[in-house]
Amino acid sequence: MPIPNQIRKFFFPSFTPKFLIRIFLVALLAYLFFGYICIPFTIRGTSMEPTYHNGGFNFCWRLGTLFSEPKRFDVVMVRFAGSRVMLLKRVVAQESERVEFRDGKLFVNEREIEEPYVHYPCDWNLPPRQVEKGFVYVVGDNRSMPIENHHFGQTSKSRIMGVPLW
Amino acid sequence: MVKIKYLSIGVLIIIIGIVITVVLLPSEEKKVKKQFNLLSGYATKSPEESGFTLLQKMKNIGSLFDEQCELKAPSQSLSGNYKREEISSYAGSARSYFSQLDLRFYDFNIVFSEKGVARVTLTSRLTGKSVAGEQVDETRELECVLKKIEGKWLFSQIEVVEVLKK
Repeated sequence: MPIPNQIRKFFFPSFTPKFLIRIFLVALLAYLFFGYICIPFTIRGTSMEPTYHNGGFNFCWRLGTLFSEPKRFDVVMVRFAGSRVMLLKRVVAQESERVEFRDGKLFVNEREIEEPYVHYPCDWNLPPRQVEKGFVYVVGDNRSMPIENHHFGQTSKSRIMGVPLW
Repeated sequence: MVKIKYLSIGVLIIIIGIVITVVLLPSEEKKVKKQFNLLSGYATKSPEESGFTLLQKMKNIGSLFDEQCELKAPSQSLSGNYKREEISSYAGSARSYFSQLDLRFYDFNIVFSEKGVARVTLTSRLTGKSVAGEQVDETRELECVLKKIEGKWLFSQIEVVEVLKK
C-alpha cells in the first residue's frame, strides 16, 4: 500500500533551507528552555522522603523563585557551584527568624511549627540559632536519620535555583 | 554569482578552521581542567584494586599538588598547610576507608586572576561504598587555587565552601 504523500513528507521531509532553519530554531529553543528555564533532574538520595523518592524524575522550574522570595514550606533547589548537582530541600524559616529543634519538633521564633510532610519519627535536638539576613533555613522532609547525617541549614537566597515542577 | 559562491565557501572553511583550532588546541583552561580529571582518575578506586596500583595512585595524587598546599575543610577537620607527601599519605588513608570510590567534578568556573594563578570554583561529588558496606554520597562546592610551576598547574589551595550552615 503506498504511503500518503503528506505522511511521507512529515516523517521524511526534504532538507530545504526553510526546514533546516526550523530544525535549528527548535533545537536552540529546546536548549535554552531545558538548559536554563526548566532543568530536568533525577533525585538521588532519600533526604526528601516520602515527598520525593529516590530515583524520581522532575524539572527545576527557575521562574518559580525568579520573581518571588521563597516562602516557608516551599520546596526549593539549592545549587552548589552550578546547576549540575543541586540539593532538594524545604524552606522552614526565613531571614531573622530563630530556628530550633526540640525532640524532633521544629520551633521557629519559639513557636512550634506543624509539619504535615514529616512522616518518619525524629528525635533531633538543635539549639536555637538566628537565620542571617539574605538567607533561608532549609531542611529535608526525611529526618529519620541522626542529625549529623542530614544536610540542612541556612543557605543564601542567591543559591536557590528554583522549585521542582511537581 | 560564482564569486559569491566561492566567497561563501571560503568564509565557511575559515569558520570551520577557527572552530577546529579552538576545540583542539590545548588552552590554559583545558590544562587546568585536565588536572582535575587526573585527580578524579587517581582518587577513583575499584574493589579489585591491587596494592601496586594503590601505591602508584597515592604517588600520582601527590604529584598534582604544590610543595605546600593549604587545605581549608573545617567540617573534615582539615585546616592548614600540608606538604605534598602529607597529602599523598592522607589521600591513601582516606581511600583505604572505601572499597569502591568515584570522584567527579562538575560546573567548572575558572578565572585567571593573575599570571600563573587559576582560581577554580566547582562542585565535587564523591560516591562509593565504605569497607563496612555503607553507601557514601557526598557533594561539596570547592574553591581551588592552582599555580603554574614549571609548566604544570599544581593545586596550592583547596577550600570547602559551606553551602548549608547548621
